[in-house]
Amino acid sequence: MATPLWRYVGKRLLLLIPVLFGLSLIVFFIMALIPGDPAQAILGSYATPENVARLNAQLGLDKSLPQQYLTWLGNIFQGDFGRSYNQNREVISIIAERFGATLILAGTALVLCSIFGLLAGIISASRQYGLVDKAITLIVLIGISMPAFWLGLLMIMLFAVEWRLLPASGMFSIYGGGDLPDLIRHLILPAGTLAFIATGVIARLTRASMLEVLRQDFIRTARAKGVNERRVIYRHAFKAALVSIVPVIGIQAGFVLGGAVYIETVFQWPGMGSMLVNAISTRDLLLVQGGVLVIAAAYVLINLAADVVQFILDPRVTA
Amino acid sequence: MKRIVNPIAAVAFATTSTFAIAQTPPNVLVVGQIAEPQSLDPHAVTAVNDFRILVNLYDGLVRYADGTLEVEPSLAESWDISDDGTVYKFQLRDDVEFHDGTPFDAEAVVFNFERMLDEDHPYYDTGPFPLAFYFSQIDTVEATAEHEVTFTLNEPFAPFLSNLAYPTGLLISPQAVREHGENIGRHPVGTGAYQFEEWESNSRVVLTRNNDYWDGAPDLEAVVFRPITDANTRVAEMRSGGIDMMVEVPPDNVSMFKEDPMFQVYEQAGPHVWFVILNMRNELLQDKRVRQALNYAVDKEALVNDVLQGTATVADSPIAPAFNWAYNDELDGYPYNPDRARELLEEAGAVGEELTFYVTEGGSGMLDPINMGTAIQANLESVGLDISIETYEWNTFLGRVNAGLEGEADMAEMAWMTNDPDTLPFLALRSDAMPDEGGFNSGYYSNADVDKLLEQARTSTSQEERARLYKEAQAIIVEDAPWIFVANWQQNAVATDRVENFHLQPSFLLQLRDVRKP
Amino acid sequence: MTTNAQAPLLSRLFGRRHSRTSPLALLVRNRLAAAGLVVLCLVVFIALITPWLPLPDPNATQPSDRLIPPFTTGHWLGTDQLGRDILSRLLWGTRVSLVVGIAATLVAALIGSTIGIVAGYFGKRVDSTLMRGIDMMMAFPYILLALAIVAVLGPGLLNALYAIAIVNIPFFARNVRGVTVTLRNREFVDAALLSGKNHFLILVTEILPNVLPVIVITMSTTVGWMILETAGLSFLGLGAQPPQADLGSMLGEGRRLISTAPFVSTVPGVMIFILVMSINLLGDGIRDALDPRLKAGALRRPAARTRTSVEARQASQYEQRGVLDVRALRTEFHLDNQVHRAVNGPTFSIEAGECLGIIGESGSGKSVTAMSLLGLVASPPGMIMGGQVNYRDTNLLGISDNDLRRYRGGELAYIFQDPLSTLHPLFTVGDQLVEAMRSHYAISYTDAWKKAVTLLEEVRIPNAANRAHSYPHQLSGGMRQRVSIAMALANEPKLIIADEPTTALDVTVQAQILALLNRLRDDKGASLMFITHDFGVVRQVCHRVAVMYAGEIVEIGPVEEILAQPAHPYTRRLISCVPDVERKTGKLEEIPGLPPQVNNLPEGCKFADRCDMVADQCRQAPIELKTMNERHQARCIFAKEVV
Repeated sequence: MATPLWRYVGKRLLLLIPVLFGLSLIVFFIMALIPGDPAQAILGSYATPENVARLNAQLGLDKSLPQQYLTWLGNIFQGDFGRSYNQNREVISIIAERFGATLILAGTALVLCSIFGLLAGIISASRQYGLVDKAITLIVLIGISMPAFWLGLLMIMLFAVEWRLLPASGMFSIYGGGDLPDLIRHLILPAGTLAFIATGVIARLTRASMLEVLRQDFIRTARAKGVNERRVIYRHAFKAALVSIVPVIGIQAGFVLGGAVYIETVFQWPGMGSMLVNAISTRDLLLVQGGVLVIAAAYVLINLAADVVQFILDPRVTA
Repeated sequence: MKRIVNPIAAVAFATTSTFAIAQTPPNVLVVGQIAEPQSLDPHAVTAVNDFRILVNLYDGLVRYADGTLEVEPSLAESWDISDDGTVYKFQLRDDVEFHDGTPFDAEAVVFNFERMLDEDHPYYDTGPFPLAFYFSQIDTVEATAEHEVTFTLNEPFAPFLSNLAYPTGLLISPQAVREHGENIGRHPVGTGAYQFEEWESNSRVVLTRNNDYWDGAPDLEAVVFRPITDANTRVAEMRSGGIDMMVEVPPDNVSMFKEDPMFQVYEQAGPHVWFVILNMRNELLQDKRVRQALNYAVDKEALVNDVLQGTATVADSPIAPAFNWAYNDELDGYPYNPDRARELLEEAGAVGEELTFYVTEGGSGMLDPINMGTAIQANLESVGLDISIETYEWNTFLGRVNAGLEGEADMAEMAWMTNDPDTLPFLALRSDAMPDEGGFNSGYYSNADVDKLLEQARTSTSQEERARLYKEAQAIIVEDAPWIFVANWQQNAVATDRVENFHLQPSFLLQLRDVRKP
Repeated sequence: MTTNAQAPLLSRLFGRRHSRTSPLALLVRNRLAAAGLVVLCLVVFIALITPWLPLPDPNATQPSDRLIPPFTTGHWLGTDQLGRDILSRLLWGTRVSLVVGIAATLVAALIGSTIGIVAGYFGKRVDSTLMRGIDMMMAFPYILLALAIVAVLGPGLLNALYAIAIVNIPFFARNVRGVTVTLRNREFVDAALLSGKNHFLILVTEILPNVLPVIVITMSTTVGWMILETAGLSFLGLGAQPPQADLGSMLGEGRRLISTAPFVSTVPGVMIFILVMSINLLGDGIRDALDPRLKAGALRRPAARTRTSVEARQASQYEQRGVLDVRALRTEFHLDNQVHRAVNGPTFSIEAGECLGIIGESGSGKSVTAMSLLGLVASPPGMIMGGQVNYRDTNLLGISDNDLRRYRGGELAYIFQDPLSTLHPLFTVGDQLVEAMRSHYAISYTDAWKKAVTLLEEVRIPNAANRAHSYPHQLSGGMRQRVSIAMALANEPKLIIADEPTTALDVTVQAQILALLNRLRDDKGASLMFITHDFGVVRQVCHRVAVMYAGEIVEIGPVEEILAQPAHPYTRRLISCVPDVERKTGKLEEIPGLPPQVNNLPEGCKFADRCDMVADQCRQAPIELKTMNERHQARCIFAKEVV
């Protein structure tokens, strides 16, 4: 069993290359279509056409687009992601700084929404049409019916400003922090908000999958064997349901990474999302390029991980 | 299931123990900034947001005297200007060292300006230096003695000293530039009251006290600049005690802070003008009556008092009142008079005409551009014009507006903050400053008299003479109404009651040397 | 996991004849969805009539009247930062947001579905090319993609709409492709191809109608999401152009006042919430109503035990005969306000060491009877209405859940028909055997595993120690059924209830399994209740046989006697269905007609419509069991005469 799994992972990793290559082309294409250029953004109010042209020449942006792309592509193979025009720093070091923060935020949110989503879905399904089920259905729906940024602002207003329980923004305290408890205190609001809005999809899917699985013959077999009902639900039904939920958790990672853009902006989280929004508006092509590729790679890898989990869970899946 | 739940319980336990919010410590000032700085290389940046940090790290040859826009000595103790106004000779202080211990001398000054201006300079490629054109009149810069620098200009240029006082004229350690190369922006070394400690991206920039500061060491141990881009979050941080001071308080929050005894609100008028460019290549707007009508139609009082909540004053000229020596206070401007506006429009036969109005979503000094644009639109509609708004994100907006409005739009919002009365009219209202000639005259205003007055004022070395010329030019420009003059911003800041001895500068720079926070 | 093994029992029982509730009725019955529908209709109605309502101009500014709090005369929801009436802007804004949300959904559905159908239909390179593209879009953080698109197109509501639509194309493409792929391989597509239709025609006339429900479901679940995302773009300043109001831009403008005048953002925020919530509730309802899996009934979770009426839970009133004594058992299915009487009072008992066969066609109620004994009928919709199941002098229908659980798989064990679907696909067979033991006895995992291997050897599984580590899908059908048998034997049962254990197997394997069962029953001294539709099988393993038709026993007696002298016409028909090796002609007779619908049973003999001996009196009253001899009864008024 070990061999096909590794071969499968290898094959999937190879498939990552054309996806990333295609994405880099798309990013280049889109960024080229956006009016304005980095020089404009750097010069701000002083961006006369003359100044812009001079600065563009300095930045190497006076070359043709295919030429710029090929240069970039060539550098990539040497591990050089180029320099951000706007910050005049290595793209790779900017991303290195930001990516960890996004991973912590989105990762925590993903774990939280998976746990809560699965639990809510299981409980909902095992109490179908009961009061608990209805309550969970409603709460979960509230989550997916609220604009993320609005919810985030309400959270700040309540927990940080009114009750002063948690910090309003940032990732670490400015003074006297920097340890894990400090990080967790800063993480609770943004990750909680992001998880709350992302829980819905998983909870609803879990409920539906559980309901479907519970009608399967092997559940009847388990009951006929005299297995107790808790075990029927948490072992037999849940494991079977998980097989169809895991890939969706993978896709949900995309949602969480996307939603992180709003959350990072509102909570001032030093992650990739807020950086990329800014990079798009300042036409910082290479930074956008690098950032999108890293996020896309993360997304694809998370989905690969989901597939591997599914592979391990379900012996019927062949690589 | 148990194994998954346990860490969560552990987390909850760990966090409850540290729930109380720590206040910022004494003698450390935490400032809420509006954005992450782009760089801390004074020659590489353009944003006021970054200048706020830079002026505390670096000094220039000269600086603005406290509370004014007048130039006073800084690293240069004194200077002489040749009679023809083209040679400036500065005597430098001889007791100053950069934070890295290297001496400040004439060679260092030369290095700074040549790096910016000379394409063959070995460190020219540590740029780009977008505001280098502030010094484009410099022909040569020479170290004429160990502590004497001589600038030779290729033409007389009155704003030269003022430009030297601007953050682009701040001086960086040559040794640091050689050491860090293109990464100098992350490792700034100056001579200022505070020295660079650390920059944690998107989290904080920390400066600590320079105990050897030549002008007296500051009281604060450290200053922390926190970038908080979202205005709501910035306000929330201020209210929840995460920062001690914030700048650019949203107008609606100013009154809230004013009412709260925990906070102190600071306000200071500055050299800022907010206006609407009128495209004079539009047939309709070629008619002066229409342009004047537009000026009469906009209720500027309502804009500054209601929309901007008193964080601005009504503007009536292209030169801000903060340049008190150059500002012409005898002009009446265009008080709100919709009836007069309707009359003028009817005379010009412009009633019911359609105009396109470029509005930006935000941007440096643009205040509350969408709400202001919307209110202006409503004003103009009520006098019988049909205005359609197009909003653009700031950089797109600049790209469109700076390229000239011809064929694109009839009106566009704009705002300028300058350090000399010359800058704005010279760059944006001269016949030779059309967009295709590298200027910012996006509305194509052209008046030979104005051109002549501005040229004279810029080359004159007498401030009295310059004042007279500017006042004369203002009178003509206001009558011609190439713009709708709207507002002069009162910059503001909020600090907790623990912050002492702080005030804002008309230059919009954030001088923190004398601030105390026991 | 999506194998649609929805209680095969139910579909066999009700099949195509089961009358379906209309989607609309299903929708209305779902109370939450109905509430969503009502709220949404209300919002849409108000949005529609907004132009005729006596509201101030939504764009009229009055800066001196800014931020008037709600519930002020003239401005019921207050005014915003420019003194505009919030109520008026809210209603106009809702119109805009609704239109944008719906339009974006339609655009995304159109493009996404087209891609999905084309990819799914043409497959191969077209498919992989298109789906790679979709993968790329999904890997691109959606908000950034939308941002970039708006940056290219310029701001504006229409451009925001395109951006949102483009970003959501993958959802439609993926869903629709999935369905199309399964349709592509169906016979009607091939038929259409053979008849000379071109691809375009097939896509439009054959495929599209079949994927339409999926498109509608996806649409109903994405409209709300679209409205949220449009609001998000407006929040980032890329949506509606001022002064036009839409909910997102109102929220975006109002958020700056969240600490000074929270109502300015709360009002549109709550409106978005109400709107999206009602759409989502309705969307859930639509999904439930259109989902093909729900056609056989609501997507309902069967309880751990069949619901049982008070009457059936009464303590035992009879002196028990044999090991298991079943009396007048009645089980019904309650579906769509109709009662399907599946089991109508069979009475029988099983002696120690005896094998009782239960035989009948599909839908005769034999399986439901077997399931009812230990409360394994899916419930809802099943319900045991009456009768008794006596074991050890207690009525199993009335004992506690925990007592029942102890009997299940302990003294009373089941073997089911299709071991592929009845064994858990994700556990090894050894593990499943261990679980069966450990549910009843305190025994260590290792010991149980050893015993499991012994059991597998006992059911003649070669190389049992290795096989125990296999998953069900890695075994052949025969092997799997041996595993099921081993599982039933795990706890030394007194009675094994085997529900068509050989039906899914081919003839030689079937013979082996039957031999195995026979031998084990002899060895262990257990009783066997053997359910089948095949008299040939009955002849091989059973001592007695009960023939069931429409939920009743129509004949019961010793196998030899019934085979020799069947008393009921139905029994005779069943017997003649058996291929007879000795009879050279070997012609199989089929029974004409279909069993009666159990939701509409005739008054008299239930076989009357298919019987070649039918007489008037057959239809007049229920037919009683007639006794042939002490051990042989039949439910036919002509029974004696036949003998």
